[in-house]
Amino acid sequence: MNDHDLELLSSYLDGQLSLSDSARLESRLKSDGRLVSALDDLRAARTLLRQLPKRRAPRNFTLTRKMVGLNPPLPRSYPAFRFATVVATLLFFFTFGVNALAPQLAQMSPFGMGGGGPEIFSAAPAATEAPAFAEAAATEAPATEAPAATEAPLQSASDLATLMPATQESARIAETPMTKIGGAENAGGVDQPQVASESPSPAPIIPSMWQSVFAVIAILGASLMALLRRSASNRWK
Amino acid sequence: MNEQALITDAQSGNLDAFNTLVLHYQDSVFNTALRILGDEDQAADASQEAFISAFKSISSFRGGSFKAWLMRTVTNACYDELRRQKRRPTTPLEPDTDDGEEMDSPRWLADPNMTPAQQAEADEVEHAIQHCLDNLPLDFKTVVVMADIQGMDYTEVAAAIRAPLGTIKSRLARARLRLRECLQGFAELLPASYRLTTDITQ
Repeated sequence: MNDHDLELLSSYLDGQLSLSDSARLESRLKSDGRLVSALDDLRAARTLLRQLPKRRAPRNFTLTRKMVGLNPPLPRSYPAFRFATVVATLLFFFTFGVNALAPQLAQMSPFGMGGGGPEIFSAAPAATEAPAFAEAAATEAPATEAPAATEAPLQSASDLATLMPATQESARIAETPMTKIGGAENAGGVDQPQVASESPSPAPIIPSMWQSVFAVIAILGASLMALLRRSASNRWK
Repeated sequence: MNEQALITDAQSGNLDAFNTLVLHYQDSVFNTALRILGDEDQAADASQEAFISAFKSISSFRGGSFKAWLMRTVTNACYDELRRQKRRPTTPLEPDTDDGEEMDSPRWLADPNMTPAQQAEADEVEHAIQHCLDNLPLDFKTVVVMADIQGMDYTEVAAAIRAPLGTIKSRLARARLRLRECLQGFAELLPASYRLTTDITQ
């Protein structure tokens, strides 16, 4: 008995041989007792296997949507809401970033992005204002000093004592313009950066109204998406 | 059960239709996994994995025998499980008797229609056959489980394991021969009508 005979017997047992092969094997089976015994043994082995008890599944293997990662079908408008929300959120943060970086960029590159503009505009009025203020102070100073000088002889000592603060004050007023005159002369040098730093910060590049609009769109979009998802899953259940 | 309609519905994502198919085939799938793996818990896990995998890839089913297609999925799940076992071998936890010895035939597996003696005998025969099945090479075991235990014809088995018909015939014959040789060692356990008498290889 060789492997080929064994294969023939196994196939014959299962009715898988062609008619001619079956006839040939049957004629051999009539004359060869060993083949018959082998066939009986194969049949017995097969019968044993077929009689193995069929176990029932220990539980149902039905699938849940979670097991297979299925999500409830969302309405067709959902992708549009998602897109709008994402874009609005990105734009919201972009506007914040641009507005926050604008002054720094302006300082870093005076000729770039019109950054030098505010400095020139803020320094120029300061330079022109300083002499004007100095001149006005110079013209006012004698006017305040003159009445004090004329009134002084007419007043008593007590009156003088009460007037002293006024005269001192007017003298101080007269002195301060003088120092400012000196400062005004140097306006182009030392005082210019001080004036420039006191000027108001430049206006934001993107108006804050747009930030509000983007924020509202993002919040509304996210809320609508959550609502759509919840209603879809409720309908699915 | 209109199987084709259920398959079509499942292919369009209808989980309920697929679950109807699951209920119909779950015993066959579980038994196949049980005989290949030889362990109930692992067989249950492999069956569940097979059904999940089958649902995810049901769009690739292009007709033919659905059972054969399902059996291919479960054998793949069993192969994965066996590979996992090779990487991380584990010690099975058998239930213990009062004496602390392992219980070969847990009570909950017993058939209530059998007497204790019959049950014990059936368990012994089953263990002998399972032992012989476990000693077969995986390719042989898969073929013999499908053909002789599940009763699938050669064409279905060939479709399930994607092998030529001649290979199926050859593997089945060799598997039966090896099983017969192995079962000779358990001759005293086998019912008289099933005892094996000759030595085929001589």
